[in-house]
Amino acid sequence: MMAIRELKVCLLGDTGVGKSSIVCRFVQDHFDHNISPTIGASFMTKTVPCGNELHKFLIWDTAGQERFHSLAPMYYRGSAAAVIVYDITKQDSFHTLKKWVKELKEHGPENIVMAIAGNKCDLSDIREVPLKDAKEYAEFIGAIVVETSAKNAINIEELFQGISYKGLLARRPQLVALSLTMLCCCSLTNPSEVESRFLLHHLFSVCKIC
Amino acid sequence: MCSSEEASLLRLEEVFSAALAHINSLVLQPLLLTEPSDAWTRECLQLLQQLHQSSQRLWKVTEESRHSLRERLHHPDSVGLESLLLLHGAERVLQVHIEYIESYTNCMVARAFQGAAKQRSAHWRDQRKVLQQFLWAMGSVSLEGAVGPVLVQSLRQPLTHHVQQYVFLLLSLGDTIRENHPTRKLVVHAATLFGNLQSFMSQALDEAMATEALWPTLSSRLRDELCNPADRRLLQDSRDIPVTVSPLRADRVLLFRDSLVLLQGHHVHTFDLKLVWVDPGQDRDTLHVLTPEEEFSFCAKNPQGQVAWQRKVTQAVRQALCGKKDFPVMGADPEPPEPPACRCEAYTFQVEGRLCQATYEGEWCWGRPHGKGTLKWPDGRSHVGNFSQGLEHGFGICLVPQAAEDKFDCYKCHWREGSMCGYGICEYGTGDVYKGYFQEGLRHGFGVFESARTASQPCKYTGHWELGQRSGYGIGEDRDRGEHYIGMWQADQRHGLGVLVTQAGVCYQSCFQADKMVALSVPLCLFLLLLELLRPALSASPNPSPFPGSSVRPPRAQAGPCPPQFHLCPHRQLGLGAFPVESRWRGVYGPFWDFVQAGCPGDQQEALLGFHVQSSKELRKSQEYLCCERTPPEDSTDSIADLLEQLPQHREPGALQQYLKKALSNSLHPLGKLLRTLMLTFQATYSGVGANKHLQGLAQEEVKQHARELWAAYRGLLQVALQRRGQALEEDEDAETRDLQVHRLVLPLLLPSFYPELFTLYLLLHEREDSLYSQGITCLSLFPDTRLLEFLDVQKHLWPLKDLTLTTNQRDSLVRDKCFLSAIECLQKMITTVDPREKLEVLERTYREIEATVSRVLGQEHKLPMDDLLPLLIYVVSRARIQHLGAEIHLIRDMMDPTHTGGLYDFLLTALESCYEHIRKEDMQLHRVPSRWTAW
Ligand SMILES: Nc1nc2c(ncn2[C@@H]2O[C@H](COP(=O)(O)OP(=O)(O)O)[C@@H](O)[C@H]2O)c(=O)[nH]1
Ligand SMILES: [Mg+2]
Repeated sequence: MMAIRELKVCLLGDTGVGKSSIVCRFVQDHFDHNISPTIGASFMTKTVPCGNELHKFLIWDTAGQERFHSLAPMYYRGSAAAVIVYDITKQDSFHTLKKWVKELKEHGPENIVMAIAGNKCDLSDIREVPLKDAKEYAEFIGAIVVETSAKNAINIEELFQGISYKGLLARRPQLVALSLTMLCCCSLTNPSEVESRFLLHHLFSVCKIC
Repeated sequence: MCSSEEASLLRLEEVFSAALAHINSLVLQPLLLTEPSDAWTRECLQLLQQLHQSSQRLWKVTEESRHSLRERLHHPDSVGLESLLLLHGAERVLQVHIEYIESYTNCMVARAFQGAAKQRSAHWRDQRKVLQQFLWAMGSVSLEGAVGPVLVQSLRQPLTHHVQQYVFLLLSLGDTIRENHPTRKLVVHAATLFGNLQSFMSQALDEAMATEALWPTLSSRLRDELCNPADRRLLQDSRDIPVTVSPLRADRVLLFRDSLVLLQGHHVHTFDLKLVWVDPGQDRDTLHVLTPEEEFSFCAKNPQGQVAWQRKVTQAVRQALCGKKDFPVMGADPEPPEPPACRCEAYTFQVEGRLCQATYEGEWCWGRPHGKGTLKWPDGRSHVGNFSQGLEHGFGICLVPQAAEDKFDCYKCHWREGSMCGYGICEYGTGDVYKGYFQEGLRHGFGVFESARTASQPCKYTGHWELGQRSGYGIGEDRDRGEHYIGMWQADQRHGLGVLVTQAGVCYQSCFQADKMVALSVPLCLFLLLLELLRPALSASPNPSPFPGSSVRPPRAQAGPCPPQFHLCPHRQLGLGAFPVESRWRGVYGPFWDFVQAGCPGDQQEALLGFHVQSSKELRKSQEYLCCERTPPEDSTDSIADLLEQLPQHREPGALQQYLKKALSNSLHPLGKLLRTLMLTFQATYSGVGANKHLQGLAQEEVKQHARELWAAYRGLLQVALQRRGQALEEDEDAETRDLQVHRLVLPLLLPSFYPELFTLYLLLHEREDSLYSQGITCLSLFPDTRLLEFLDVQKHLWPLKDLTLTTNQRDSLVRDKCFLSAIECLQKMITTVDPREKLEVLERTYREIEATVSRVLGQEHKLPMDDLLPLLIYVVSRARIQHLGAEIHLIRDMMDPTHTGGLYDFLLTALESCYEHIRKEDMQLHRVPSRWTAW
């Protein structure tokens, strides 16, 4: 039996950017048999293998309404990771994202893994936020970034995988070498465009940690 | 048909009866006429009176026997042989004879006949002839010489002859009856009895003669000292069989029927045989004698002498303990029965020392108080209880009178080798009370001392003691000043880190030295007091946050050591680092672990658990009959052996929970007793003045620690139980399993015991937030349902309007508390339990109710995202109107199983907390933007 590691993940972002949709997609796409109890679409769990461990994601949704922003610290305290979502078709949502990042840096848990998801990438024709901006910003703050589409199930798995690995590495630097070899193997066996992009990103972040 | 023997028996009785009548008129009556002139003659007269009575009884029995014989002879066909008194009442006849012999020998030893005869010598000279004639008629050789011996002879001779004839005739009668006939057995039995009586009589007479002969060999002073009581008989004299005594010195040793006497010059040392133990020494030539205060050995010249003394002393002790002479007389058995080693007697100690003049009444063994007993000193001090090897050992009650009349110090305690050790209750004459553990007579370990209410400085101390002094962690309550000290003590003084709480609610942590606070001057004290009082005004500062109105909980300050720290933060907790929770109540657990490590010995159960006795008042009343009336643990079902027997039978989760629940509620169970004591410490610390919000952290970690410790205690008992069954011991569980058991199993069982005090602390800590929340609730309660839903931005399609069977107009204006009613009612059940897990389950059910309502409204299953859930939850929470929700939430969070962290329950609790926070702040918003709905 593999060890199960629980990862509390908190969803942040404006209303309507697709937070709930991303989680629903992630959790329901691979419908596993052991249905763990949920609180509607507000609290969900999903267990995925990661290296020689199982990672159980405990995903906490937050209310996106402006008036509830002040309640967010209660939700993100003790989180291993935060998924901050913006809508690539809305510049405003990217602005809000920056405010969340700032707040997390100041008041969030130490070593929280931040993952930026530019959602609705299926609508890239009406895009307002260029991918480059997001990448630069992510690089600057040391966060994972990926453009997703909950609608078309693009990069949803990868988003959480990224969190998994980064969380793993952040906690256990001694596993870096192992993970690197593992990543290389993966890239050889599954050389899809998305995957390799992700792996490269990981290599970067790993190097930064080391 | 009657045999000739029966006829002879009848004649025998007739002759004897006549002889007795004769003796009475010739001898006894005249003797009784003597006028007593001095003490001796008065005593003689008394003995003669007794003899007279015995003789009367003897005569009556003889008459009765004669009558039964005549009846039988007259009606031999209708009256059976067994109707003879001699046969069916042989024991009674025998008894009367023995009695007569006793009275007779008493008179003999005291020379009563001689004494009485001297008085009226003229009379006896005249009567002498008649007497001699009478004796001659009885078949005796005539006596020449003094009157005394003639009288002696006249009173004995007929009896001896009579018994002799009984035996002879009964034996011949037996021969006439054929074998196997039931009456034959009766006859043989009677013949044996009277045969035995013959040897008994001759022994009694021998002893009496030896005693009578002893007196002239002693000085008159010694004789006077030794001649009482009247039935004292000499059994052995060192002049006959010489012995030397050591280390006590004696030039003559006399063994009497009731006592052993050592004579050394004029000095007499008398030992009551009931308290003499004979131990045949290692070497066969010495004989060890144990008495309560002396120990000495006899050494005879040769082994025969040794055996004779040992046999005599042993027999005498045994007979003294029985209170009567052997019947039948012991023959020369090689192994005569030994007297019991354990006896029940009273004795007053004489030798200088602790016990001088004290009287012990109770069980003895080998010369020492051993078993249950009462020890009383002439000054009124008394000890009732168990003794071992001469010392107080085991349970005991000791009363020590105080100078003032009717005042006692009463110690109900466990003793070990003469001093208090283990659990005890001491009620002092002054009204002070100590309940706790002792060691070597001093308060040691955990204990509670409470001074009398009337004391000049009423105080209470709950905590640790060392060698009679307050030392270690403890709570001191100064009732006069209303001050409460929580912290370290040394040598009866506050010393080390401590938290001081005053009645005004001021609470500070400081360093103490020899009862004085260091580094805190009086003016500073006052200044800080002022600050504390002004705190509400000062602490209302806005907190910086990225979003308007957002707040970050202040991290709880860790209390450091000296100098004293004061904090304006309302949530500041004191004492957290100062008193490590693992060792805080070590003294409570100490005796338990000692007990477990010793393998749970049954005789130490009471020393650990305490006991049930009457109050000292009742004890004092019944002091005369002080006896250890308490429910003995070995009789009840709670004996430690039974308890350990049951323990491993309840291992399955459900059974274990039931078992622990029962055990914890039973104060006779070691776990229950632990819990009881812990509750005591908890109340002492956190109730009354101690109910201060700055102590919430201390209290909270203490409760959790207790759960851990009690689980460990259960495991400890389990190991002993398994060991007793010869089963393999349990491996140590890993930390995770342990935490799980502690939180899932033990904490919920324990929490109710600490809940009142604990919850009060949470109430106080969150008082301000809770009052703001209450205001918020009050404001929101003014809204009708639909208005509130609207105000909370609940999406219209989720409104359960079907629940409202009213007009649109009414919906908007009046309806209250109709929507989501099932969820609201469910949430309200949260306060009906103290178990955090149950509270969380209530919360989950509340969510399910909300979800069900929404699904019903939408006509399909709906998974609520947080955007929708939070407003709905705020709605439900505001309608449920749970008081002190903040305190509730924080208590649940602190007591929650840590494995739930990040999980479903954590999420729900956080959601609830966010609702609470929102309502708390919503209050302000309401005031800020009232126009939004008043416009409607
Ligand atoms: N085209 C497109 N629409 C999306 C995507 N993800 C979410 N949406 C839509 O965006 C709206 C808001 O989504 P929701 O998950 O409720 O956002 P939330 O408020 O952040 O939880 C919904 O109408 C979704 O259908 C996506 O990847 N592509
Ligand atoms: Mg949502």
